[in-house]
Amino acid sequence: MSERRAIVTGIAGGLARLVGAALHADGFEIIGVDYREVRHELPFTTKIYQANYNKTKIEDVFRRHAPSHVLHLGRVGNLKQTLKKRFDLNVIGSRKVMDLALRYGAKRMVVLSTFHIYGAHPHNHIPIFEEEPLRAGMESPQIGDAIQLDNQAITWIYQHPECRTALLRPTHVIGPDIRNAMSNFLRSKRGPVMLGFDPMMQFIHQQDLVDAIVRVTKSDEVGVFNVSGDGTLPWRRALDVVGMSQIPVPSSAAITYLKMAGLLSPSLPPYMVNFFKYPCIISNDKIRETFGFAPSVALEDALRSTRG
Amino acid sequence: MIRDRLAEWLDNPKLDAAIDALVAKQPGYDAWGFHPDETRPFAKLAYFFYRYFRPEIRGIENIPEGRVLIVPNHSGQLPFDGLVVGMACLLEGKPPRLCRAMAERWFPTLPFVNVMFSRSGVVVGDPMNCRNLLEQENAILVFPEGTRGSGKTWSHRYQLAQFGRGFMRLALQTNAPIVPVSVVGAEESIISIHDARTIADLLGMPYFPIPLLLPVLGPLAYLPLPTKFYIDFGEPMTFEGPFDDEDEAIDAKVKVVTERIQFQIDQRRAERPSIF
Repeated sequence: MSERRAIVTGIAGGLARLVGAALHADGFEIIGVDYREVRHELPFTTKIYQANYNKTKIEDVFRRHAPSHVLHLGRVGNLKQTLKKRFDLNVIGSRKVMDLALRYGAKRMVVLSTFHIYGAHPHNHIPIFEEEPLRAGMESPQIGDAIQLDNQAITWIYQHPECRTALLRPTHVIGPDIRNAMSNFLRSKRGPVMLGFDPMMQFIHQQDLVDAIVRVTKSDEVGVFNVSGDGTLPWRRALDVVGMSQIPVPSSAAITYLKMAGLLSPSLPPYMVNFFKYPCIISNDKIRETFGFAPSVALEDALRSTRG
Repeated sequence: MIRDRLAEWLDNPKLDAAIDALVAKQPGYDAWGFHPDETRPFAKLAYFFYRYFRPEIRGIENIPEGRVLIVPNHSGQLPFDGLVVGMACLLEGKPPRLCRAMAERWFPTLPFVNVMFSRSGVVVGDPMNCRNLLEQENAILVFPEGTRGSGKTWSHRYQLAQFGRGFMRLALQTNAPIVPVSVVGAEESIISIHDARTIADLLGMPYFPIPLLLPVLGPLAYLPLPTKFYIDFGEPMTFEGPFDDEDEAIDAKVKVVTERIQFQIDQRRAERPSIF
C-alpha cells in the first residue's frame, strides 16, 4: 500500500477537484469517486469512479485501492435534490464510506460537513464555536440529513480513534470553480434580498478551503473544526461588491413562494430564507490554532472572484 | 424650512467628533454589524430623543476605561432610557464611550429595526456576545431587569423588577467592574396602566402596554411625553468570586447592585422639582 493514497469523494465538483490537484502536487496518489458523471478534465493523473456512496460499487473502489487517507468531500449540498436521495447519499452513503475507510485500513479521514447545520437564527450569538447546539434542525427537518452526517462523523471520531478523523464545517464556499447555490447566486445579474434585513455574512474562498483541507489531511489531529475566511460583510454590501442589483422582497413572500414552488418540484427549502435574514457567523479560532490555517484571500477579492 | 430647523436643532459638533473618533478606531464592520460611519443617521435619531428628554447627568466620570458593565434600571415601555444613557456616554463620557447595548432577543426579527440596531452597535443580549465584547475592552449597556423592567405598569413605578444573574456572572468571569446607573423620568414618559397579555401573546411581543392617555389621545398615547430624565452614574463596583457560584451567592452580589441603584433612584426622585 502506498503511504499516501487518498480516496476523494465528490470529485465531479469543483472543490474536490482542486483538493485532489493540491494533494497530488504534494505526492498523494488520488482516487476520485462521485455519484455524478465527471464531466471536466482533471488536472492530474488519477483514477475516477462513478459510484453511489451507498451502493456496492464503492466497496470495490476501497478494496482495490486500500487508501491511507479518505476525504469525504462529497456531501450532497444541492438542496434541490429530493430528501430521499440526499438521505441515501449523505447519511447511508457517508456511513458506508466511513465503514469502508476503517475496514481497509485508512489512517486518516476528513469529512466535509457544513455550517448550515448551526442554522441562521435570531438568537444566534457571534461567533459560533464548534461545540454549540445545531439549531437548524429546529427550523426545518429538510436539513436533517446534513445534521445526521455531522453527528455520525462526531461519534465516529470517538468510536474509532485508530482512524484519525477530522470534521470540517465551512461557511459559504465561493470561487470561480465552485458551482454551489451561493456562488451561482453571486454570479446572477440581479437577485432578491429580504426587505428590512441585512445580516452579516462570512465566506471562504475556494483556495483557502483547499489549503485548510490539505493541512488537515496531512495532520493527524482529530475533532470538529469550523472553517471561514477572515472578516464579515453585510449581505447587501457583499452583493454590491459583485455588482449585483438587488430586488427587495418581503421575507413572508419569499417563504410563500418557496413553499408553493416546493409543491410542484423540489426547490430551495423555505428555511434557507433565514440565512438572508439572520446572522450565522462562525469562529475559525480552533482551525487556526490546531493547523496553523490562515486565510489568504481578502473577503472582497473572494467575492469578486466568483465572477471569474 | 422645518427640515433646516430640525437639522440645526440636531447639529452637535461634539457628537460628530465622537463618531469621527470611532470611525478612526474602527473604519469597517465588526462581526456584529456595527459600523461607526453608517451609524451617523441613527445617532442623529438617538440625539433627537436625547434633546427631547433633556437629561441631567451626574457622575459620568465614574465610567472607568476599558471593559465595564453599565447597569441601569429599566422603565418606560420603549427603550428610550437605553438610548439616552448610551448617548450620554458618547457625548459626555470622559473620554467619549460607545456603549454596546444588549437588546431583547426578538430585535433581530424586526425588519429595518434590526439593521438600525446592528449598525449602531446593539447586539442580542446573549452571554457569549457580552463576554466577547467585554474581552475586547468594550463598555456594555445591560438592563438586567429585561422586559420585566421596561414593561412595568404605573403601580410598580420605580420599584426594581427582579434582576437576572447573568450580568453578575459575566462581571465575575471577565473581571469587569459594574457601574450602577439610575434613570429617573422614563417611568412617566409613557404611563402604562395595564399590560394586555393576550394581545402581546398574539403579536409575539413581551408585553403590550395600555397607556393611561389612550382614551384621550388614541394611538398618540404611545408617543412619549417630554419628561425630563435624570441619570446618575454611580461609582464602579467590583466583585470577586467564582462566576459559576451557587445562585444564592450570586443573588447576594446582585442585591448589592440593586440596592445601590434603588438608593440612587430614591435620592433623585426626592430631589427632582418636577417630572418635566
